[in-house]
Amino acid sequence: MPDHADDRRAELIAAALADDLSPAERAELDLLRAADPTVDDELALLGGLPADLGGVADWDDVAPSDDLRRRVEAVAGPGAAPRATTPASSAQESPVTRSAPVTPLRRPRRLVAVLAAAACLVVGAGAGALLAAPREATVAGPPGTLGAVEHIEFAGVPDGVSVDADLVAHTWGTETVLTVDGLPEGDAFSVVVVDDRGREHESGAFLGSTVEIDCRLNAAVTREHVAAVEIRGADGDVAVAEVPAVGA
Amino acid sequence: MTLVTTRPAPEWSPMSTSAPGALDVPAAFAAHGSALLGFAVNALRDRALAEDCVQETFLRAWRSRDSFDAGRGSERTWLFTIQRRVVLDALRTRQRTPHLVEHDDALDDAPADVADPLERLHLVEGLARLSDEHREAVVAVHVRGLSYQEHAEATGVPVATLRTRVFYGLRALRSHLDEGEPRA
Repeated sequence: MPDHADDRRAELIAAALADDLSPAERAELDLLRAADPTVDDELALLGGLPADLGGVADWDDVAPSDDLRRRVEAVAGPGAAPRATTPASSAQESPVTRSAPVTPLRRPRRLVAVLAAAACLVVGAGAGALLAAPREATVAGPPGTLGAVEHIEFAGVPDGVSVDADLVAHTWGTETVLTVDGLPEGDAFSVVVVDDRGREHESGAFLGSTVEIDCRLNAAVTREHVAAVEIRGADGDVAVAEVPAVGA
Repeated sequence: MTLVTTRPAPEWSPMSTSAPGALDVPAAFAAHGSALLGFAVNALRDRALAEDCVQETFLRAWRSRDSFDAGRGSERTWLFTIQRRVVLDALRTRQRTPHLVEHDDALDDAPADVADPLERLHLVEGLARLSDEHREAVVAVHVRGLSYQEHAEATGVPVATLRTRVFYGLRALRSHLDEGEPRA
């Protein structure tokens, strides 16, 4: 706990940094600096901060609204308590319906005819492919609801390949969550989000594997502007999930 | 299973050995929601977007609650680390979004002498993480430019107390900044 001398040292340094010393205090600080070299160290350490803080311009003190509190508390689901060590089942945590109306197809080409079975590697790869995690429906709501898991259906998926897909709306864009099985090992696939003006937004890529792939991919387009999600093979084949308009 | 990530998950590993999942969202929001919102509002200057970011932060925290290791950092630090990425994402999305400005405002809108946005973000985060008393004093003196005497008259807090608060506030801020620049 700081004693009186420490407090006085702190006062004088803080006043010096704000150019707020009286002549008597300046003399007192000079004596202190002569007796205690760490004062100069402290002044040097903190000396750049006042100028940096001037660049902040202003500060708004804000208090969270009740609406924000409710939105945040909904993240954990109704009545959710902190978990100890045993995860709740996904069914218990899942107030979200997975029934968002998603329609096939935009004249899909077949995704890959080659389904050569083989052994080997599991590689989730590519820009935007994130650490996969099980889907957890934590927020309920229609398409476009921030954080809600919205199931989508891909058309054009060849026999022998399964694609389970969801979208999650975020403030910063749209996340596509994929569980894919049956794609040829080592073949590269990209995921592209098409917006309501037909523009394409790269979302990431992954490699086919002999085991089930879980991946999350992000696109810098908000859910309200997403019209479709496409999985594209290297040869141009594509599977498409057209998604409903937000608010439709 | 090998997983490739394109974003760091630095301080908290899924391989943590501590008891996972101990995130009480209502309690965490009550304890840290105000500071997190202060960070987002002052970083983004957009209350609605800031509230979305706070919600997103808790959503990500809830999803990754199993990876939180109290032995490697406080819950508050963990939440701020998550929110830093959320706010960065929001800033980048906004920067990429063209917006129209009135012709007369175009010059005013141009960044004349703007500090590095990442440095400003780190500074704003540091201010948000200070205690209310320390932040209020630091902001009054070094952001708004009040003298200690002026601030003492406005608040009724003695000058000596305000100076001490600013000193320890600046020290805490320096420590935060020295922990490292925000990662993109």
